[in-house]
Amino acid sequence: MSESWQPKPGDRIFRPRRIKRFRLRRVLGIPAVFSAGYGNVGSSIYYALGIVALVAMGATPLALGIAGILFIFTALTYAEGTAALPEAGGSASFTRHAFGNTAGFIAGWALMLSYIVTISISAFTIPPYLGFFWEPFKASPVIGTFASIGIVFFLMVINVIGIRETSFINVGATLIDILTQVSLVVIGFVLLFDPSRLWQSMLDHWPSGQNLVLGIALATIAYTGIETMSQMAEETKKPEKSVPRALILMIVAVLVIFAGISLVSLSAMSPEELATEWARDPVAGIAFNLPIEIIRTILKPLIAVLAGTILLIATNAGLIGISRLAFSQGTHGLVPPALSRVHSRFKTPYISIIVFSLIAIAILLPGFFATDVFANMGALYAVGSLLAFMFAHASIIGLRIRKPEMERPFKVGWNIMIKGREIPISALIGLASTSTIWIIILITQAYSRWVGLGWMVVGLIIYFILRKTRRKPSEEWQIKRRK
Amino acid sequence: MVFKKILVPVVGSEADEETMKLACRLAKKDKGKVWAVSVVAIKRALPLDAEIDSEIRKAEDVLNSVESIAEEEDSEVETDVLQAREVGPAIVDEAVERGVNLILMGITYKKRFGQFSLGNVVPYVLKNSPCPVMLYQQ
Repeated sequence: MSESWQPKPGDRIFRPRRIKRFRLRRVLGIPAVFSAGYGNVGSSIYYALGIVALVAMGATPLALGIAGILFIFTALTYAEGTAALPEAGGSASFTRHAFGNTAGFIAGWALMLSYIVTISISAFTIPPYLGFFWEPFKASPVIGTFASIGIVFFLMVINVIGIRETSFINVGATLIDILTQVSLVVIGFVLLFDPSRLWQSMLDHWPSGQNLVLGIALATIAYTGIETMSQMAEETKKPEKSVPRALILMIVAVLVIFAGISLVSLSAMSPEELATEWARDPVAGIAFNLPIEIIRTILKPLIAVLAGTILLIATNAGLIGISRLAFSQGTHGLVPPALSRVHSRFKTPYISIIVFSLIAIAILLPGFFATDVFANMGALYAVGSLLAFMFAHASIIGLRIRKPEMERPFKVGWNIMIKGREIPISALIGLASTSTIWIIILITQAYSRWVGLGWMVVGLIIYFILRKTRRKPSEEWQIKRRK
Repeated sequence: MVFKKILVPVVGSEADEETMKLACRLAKKDKGKVWAVSVVAIKRALPLDAEIDSEIRKAEDVLNSVESIAEEEDSEVETDVLQAREVGPAIVDEAVERGVNLILMGITYKKRFGQFSLGNVVPYVLKNSPCPVMLYQQ
């Protein structure tokens, strides 16, 4: 090229776009990821205890304990998947990488169901806790359900406008939440715990075998917030290290607190009381039954405010989680493009926020009339999240077989060798048990069966229509291979 | 003081031009380098890697204009678009990662509820910055 070359007027100047269009700035550390995860998992104790007690009665601590062991396996699976694939989609992402788009869609769609029910169930349990301040919130199903719908509607508007959420409130609320739960466990153990009386009460109200299995199945909803931590991986600094560490920290915290609270709750009241009067606000029931007046006076309003706040944050987290997931699925062409449309002014995925909020409100509507709506919601929640967990376990196994060379910053130990591939035993047990529990719920729970399977069928129809109508690249632009 | 590495967060305000000129002159004096970054804040309802074309285009336009200012000043500048949840932490984190000696921020006179206000980002950076921070008010 001549060195005297100079651009002349009329020469076309092409300024290439930046190849790397943007860099992601991840700033969250282990405490932030832990508090986001615990905020979600810890919130479920405020309703899961009551749902489990409805069917498992005296065996509630056992059901929560067995589900807790499954939770350890699931957390390990998520730790490996998230460290290897720190993306927004969580288990839907693992599945897409392991088994392709169709399976990725099914996992994502199941996860969406679980997020929607998180929104409904968290919003549904806020009014009973606030019943401390105004009795009709707890006593009247119409007022309670109306308040729940109002909460979802309010959060929908806030999220469409996109008001900045301060992570300080989240972290602060989680910290106060853990402190209150720990104090409740300690106070309960000191004042109420009587092993022989507890054992007798458990034996007197021991459930049938079928109810115990169903109780274990429903207890899995206590641990479903694990998906939130996986989603947080995309904004975490060094996710390959910090997410597994935060997950392990959460396993310990959650198991200790859940075991403590379930034992204290059965020391404070009979399984019957827990399953009827205090089903929707079991933690308030513990505070109500403490024997010392002054502690009761302090804890009752504190738990009402705290549970209300934590559940409100959990409702909001569900809404944020589902809109992120829908956007992430949308970018891979797995949901209608409208769901990932961003509002020109507010810069939020307004269509997905509105659509999913309305579905969550529709799930709340039976609350006006039906009495068993709470247990139904719990079972439906389990159907969605267990399906997502099944896909997560299967994907980790699938990735070990199909992509053994993939970089895995966190690798689950205790493997067995099958045809030269290392298969984690925990994922195998997790897959087998979550599938069994999922099938049990589908067989025994008619509402969850029809609504859950209906949701999946509608999703598959939308997916296949999308695939059919998606514009194929025209012949003109295809590079044809020479034979 | 020697400013070998200067970070200039830009937002497309009137203050950008003079701030960039000042950064280039300071860097030139010490044979240093300037990094200009434009941060796109992504709402929590979207994944962090969501590509919002209008926002990215706006950020790239801002960076293109600061690149031409640096060219006029005969200085070398490296530019980057960052996507983050919050602007303040993203700037501080970028400063830590690049090991800069100075953050130079341009601000304009703004009022909020009738009072002069620096907003959220500047106080955050002033509080958390690992290096000296210079504010240039237009």
